Amino acid sequence: MQSKLSDIELIEQTLGGNQSAYADLVKRHQRFVFTLAMRFAKGREDAEEIAQDCFIKAYRSLASFQRQSKFSTWLYSIVYTTAMTFLRKKRVDTTSIDGEDVFIQIENKPSAYDENNVESKSRSYYLNQAIGQLLPDDATIITMFYKGEQSLEEIAQVLGIEANTVKVKLFRARQRLKEKLERNLKHEVKELI
Amino acid sequence: MNSIEEKLWSYIDGSCTAEEQQAIAMLIAQDEAYMRKYHELLKLNEEFTSMELDEPSMAFTYNVLETIRTQHAQQPLKAAINKRIILGIAIFFIVTIASLVMFALSSVNWHTADTSIKIPKQLDITHVTSFFTGPVIRGFLFFDVVMGLFLLDTYLRRKSVLKHE
Repeated sequence: MQSKLSDIELIEQTLGGNQSAYADLVKRHQRFVFTLAMRFAKGREDAEEIAQDCFIKAYRSLASFQRQSKFSTWLYSIVYTTAMTFLRKKRVDTTSIDGEDVFIQIENKPSAYDENNVESKSRSYYLNQAIGQLLPDDATIITMFYKGEQSLEEIAQVLGIEANTVKVKLFRARQRLKEKLERNLKHEVKELI
Repeated sequence: MNSIEEKLWSYIDGSCTAEEQQAIAMLIAQDEAYMRKYHELLKLNEEFTSMELDEPSMAFTYNVLETIRTQHAQQPLKAAINKRIILGIAIFFIVTIASLVMFALSSVNWHTADTSIKIPKQLDITHVTSFFTGPVIRGFLFFDVVMGLFLLDTYLRRKSVLKHE
């Protein structure tokens, strides 16, 4: 069971030497950090390595966390920097026939298939598939905005750009995601016919 | 703002000014194209919000904490020493040196006939030597040997851990 203490309280306890408080902090943020890492790495193993690296880096520099922003915003900026370094190291070739399709998500399929909830599961499957086809930056902005409870200003802080630029990027990312969703669904319908 | 979509997304996100918000709300109410697009984007927005997060492996938290523990254990002694210990040692030496200086100054016989600066006639430190008797020296050496063995044991243990990894 996860602790009901706030992030700041858990940080205080961790800095006081209580490692189980940090375990609670990791449990609280691991799903989102891992999802963000998946936007860059695509493979579960690499994503888990990035996510673990982020939590270790965060632990090491926890004392330098200024508390001027949310802990999540600070943590996501570590994730973004670590993931970018990972991409640079891996030298991922982003050029393909249509420019973006190299980021096809292979392992990011819904884990459980509930027969009673077929419609919502397949929607979620197609959404995940379409997100996997976006460029990492687009996928990251969309994920942070919709699932990371981050405002445009906070996303700007994570990415190191202006809030207005984030607004424009978010608009374009949503358009691209919508196109991918439509294209994938159209393809699926054709296959069924 | 440019396109209908851009205006409507700003309206849905609540990222435009109050006046813009009001103007867009009026457009949605009056213009059929705006209304249709608004409902389409609203549905899309709901879908994006219901996006599922990925789940890392069961051992994720354990692995993170284990790595932290291992790295913490491998930390060099120089970095692992508590600063309070260093401060304590510094205070001990400062106090010892200061009391030694004060003792030496108080033991000096300053009464000389000459006004010119001369080395003190008598420096009475004979009773200081009484502290350095046989048992004290032996105790000190025994403590040194124990400390040396303890450090050697720590060093060998760390070396063995590294070898196993």
